[in-house]
Amino acid sequence: MDPPLASLLEDAPFLHSLADALGSPLNVLIPEVVAENAERFGAVYRRHHLSGRVYFAHKANRSSALVRRLAACDPSAVGIDVASLAELRHALGCGFTGDRVMATGPKDPEFLWLAARVGATVNVDSVTELEQLAALVGAHGLGRTRVLVRLSGFESDHGPAGAGTRVLSRRSRFGTPVAEREAMWAALERHADSVELVGLAYHLDTIGLEEKGRALERCVLLMDECRARGFAPRVVDIGGGFGVGYVEDAGEWERWTTALSEAVLGLRPPLTWRGHGYGLRNDNGTVRGAAALYPAHRPLAGPGYLDELLSRRSPVLGRASATLLLEHLHDLYVEPGRALVDQCGLSLARVLEVRPLGDDPGRYLVRVGMNAADVSLEEHGVLVDPVTLPRGGPRHEAADGGPVGVHLVGNLCLEADLITRRLVFLPHLPRVGDLLAFVNTAGYVMDFHAHHAQRQPSARTVAVSREAGGTWRWCPDENYWPLTHPQGRPS
Amino acid sequence: MRYDSITEAIGNTPLVRIDPSVHGLRHIDLYAKLEMLNPFGSVKDRPAWHMARPYLEDAASGDGTVVELSSGNTAKALALLAGMHGLKFKSVTNRMRVPEIKDLLLLLGAEIEELPGQSECLDPTDTDDPLTRFHQALSEPGSAHLHTDQYFNPRNVEAHATGTGPEIIKDLDGRAPDWFVACVGTAGSSTGVARVLREHDGDVRVLGLVADKSDFIPGIRTIDEVHQVGLFDPATYDSLAAVTSQQAIDGMITLIRRCGLLSGPTGGAAYHGAVRHLASVDAELDGAGRRRTAVFIVCDRAESYLSYVRQRRPELLGRPRRGRSPSEVGDEAIRAAKARAVDVDDARRWIAEGEPRPLVVDLRGPHAYAALHIEGSINIVDELFAELVRDGLPFSKRTPVLLACPVGEKSLRYAASLARSGHPDVRSLAGGIVAWRDAGAPLVRE
Ligand SMILES: Cc1ncc(COP(=O)(O)O)c(C=O)c1O
Repeated sequence: MDPPLASLLEDAPFLHSLADALGSPLNVLIPEVVAENAERFGAVYRRHHLSGRVYFAHKANRSSALVRRLAACDPSAVGIDVASLAELRHALGCGFTGDRVMATGPKDPEFLWLAARVGATVNVDSVTELEQLAALVGAHGLGRTRVLVRLSGFESDHGPAGAGTRVLSRRSRFGTPVAEREAMWAALERHADSVELVGLAYHLDTIGLEEKGRALERCVLLMDECRARGFAPRVVDIGGGFGVGYVEDAGEWERWTTALSEAVLGLRPPLTWRGHGYGLRNDNGTVRGAAALYPAHRPLAGPGYLDELLSRRSPVLGRASATLLLEHLHDLYVEPGRALVDQCGLSLARVLEVRPLGDDPGRYLVRVGMNAADVSLEEHGVLVDPVTLPRGGPRHEAADGGPVGVHLVGNLCLEADLITRRLVFLPHLPRVGDLLAFVNTAGYVMDFHAHHAQRQPSARTVAVSREAGGTWRWCPDENYWPLTHPQGRPS
Repeated sequence: MRYDSITEAIGNTPLVRIDPSVHGLRHIDLYAKLEMLNPFGSVKDRPAWHMARPYLEDAASGDGTVVELSSGNTAKALALLAGMHGLKFKSVTNRMRVPEIKDLLLLLGAEIEELPGQSECLDPTDTDDPLTRFHQALSEPGSAHLHTDQYFNPRNVEAHATGTGPEIIKDLDGRAPDWFVACVGTAGSSTGVARVLREHDGDVRVLGLVADKSDFIPGIRTIDEVHQVGLFDPATYDSLAAVTSQQAIDGMITLIRRCGLLSGPTGGAAYHGAVRHLASVDAELDGAGRRRTAVFIVCDRAESYLSYVRQRRPELLGRPRRGRSPSEVGDEAIRAAKARAVDVDDARRWIAEGEPRPLVVDLRGPHAYAALHIEGSINIVDELFAELVRDGLPFSKRTPVLLACPVGEKSLRYAASLARSGHPDVRSLAGGIVAWRDAGAPLVRE
């Protein structure tokens, strides 16, 4: 944990007072951290002498505070990637001007119209979408719209990839396959009066540097093809997926994953609710399948991952990716979601009930005021242990007797409502009224799947900032403006 | 020796004693089984031939493909065997992590398919891992594929049970060693040899070595990965231990420099793991008055792993230094060279009106140069330029030179270096080609 998040956790009375006032579950964000993260990406750009922007992938968190804080960053360095009409309206309402907005994702006509209207850049997925955009621009007398073409299917392209080697990639529903680019160039030419090609884009859902480096180089080569066709593109947008390291200690993660394999083979007691294998299964004494888990220990994540990607030699031209971009005079766009909100916040849940598990006296059920959808740890395969924040005063250690394995169950009347399927080992058995803090949940995990089933309250979100004296100040997420920070004057 | 086919040269590898002054064990004789001396260079020659042989000898030559999940030695052996029988070979792998091996496989005519990396987001629709899809594709009706399936094929084990194991017993004059040490990849060699040795003498101890979990040793699996191997049975091993890549390289260097054995990292790992394990056993044997024997396997040779070593222990491959390269120019000299930077306007004037006109050298890569460059400039890519100026000036001192790179940083360094080598009029384009473009100055395509 980085200092701001760590020191927030140390202030248990403050977090208890927040949860008392606003209920459980509760999300707490530190907007200042998102700006610091953007600055770290910026430092990687500077190290490689690259220009271009870091676009926050808004889908990672619905908070206003985060978006407003980013809007207050240097406009030439920070933009926002919106994937729906509502996200676009939100970004504009939070202070982003249209020229700092990148529209991605599935797009309906309203979304396209507003994006074109405000001068956003549209990341176009297909020829159909391009035609739709061009028609809107023509019909409504909008300005010539800047577009990036999102490409996919780099592996099926037998370009200069080197004889005999084929790198497979995961199939994606987004983007135009490289092999079908000709139709896209032709469409861009047909609609040159309404759209302007400013660059090429990709977003690969993989942590493989190899595939990303290959796609990056392929885009550089294709930019040249575009120039030869008379376009003047300047930007290569390499999407997001830079990752977050959730577990600092590699050994801890490795011991746990080894133990999971062993548990699946029956060599040790289950580590999960009803022996769930996270995708691993026992096939005659051999582990089969792949663990459906976020690779929680990632020595290379976020800006460090970008740095490594840019430093690696490209497979065909043999220059570092950064050198390729720089020498070709291209700007670099990145769209980090998860990585940009790393360490930006936590989710709090109140402990409502603690009882021993009938058939296994060493284990307990701990029911909390939150459900699996409020903090979608399982949905995203993120395994973070909660930190216990005792209610008032230091606890009496003797009474609770050391580390204990608990199953965390939620507030829905559903067998399946487990906060995590994993057995969680806490240093002490918590007591009713304690808070459990799940840290680093701001990327996708905080409230991505939250809903109103069973009329349980969904989490409110607050933004907190540190005052000069070191005390924390808070306001509802929707009331945060970067103005109140860092002076901490209530707005 | 006279053979009709190279396949007859597979097996009957030497067992060579390691000099006790190298390993330091006083009561244990340590032997290396040199599987690297098989004709295709590794311990995998035996199982590759044993698994593929029935199919290859029957195959009506010309169509069909041998397929294996391998990024290394099995692929190498199978590619050669397939080629001899007029068939193709395809290697499917998670990652070719050692470039020399990849190049070698391409040279042998192999097709390489690299599986996708791990997903960043968890995708619930992706229920099948790439391997599952690979197996589905193989079992489609009508596919002329032979999947040798080395991780599950009992013939992999059998090759060692009928070859490697009996050879060890024979060379130890009919006795099994007290310890057998092997790295675990497919588990084929350790399982096959262990079976035969134990049948011969129930007291044989077997030590299996795996790669440290966060590390990578070519050909060896980590403790988690061995659980995914069909041939792996924990009961085969009296103990399992992990070795790091650094320890593997240490072991490899000892075998190479002190024993004359040109081992690769896996052999180094086996040697390191063996000596580490046997050192305590050796201490307990003090005064017992009995000698013991241990055998480890040297899987393959060093040549294919030079980049692996370079990456992890560059000092082992240190080369003598030549003249100074421009990147070694000190900050002091760079500051002094600031005066050599010319801005875009002055540069344009100089190029247009200079007497004589400067030679413009663009230091970017040839592809970038071809896409857009200053008219009349020549292209010498920075890496090549650095090599050239180590040994002197690549152009006359009477020719003024304007160096250009993307942002004017590298060119300034190089200008400082050339000035130090005695060039009287070399300058650097301030802000580089980027500034040139931003000023609206013309750039041309090739
Ligand atoms: C186009 C695009 N950009 C950026 C992102 C953000 O990726 P991440 O949050 O993994 O950085 C996504 C995620 O789906 C995306 O589709």
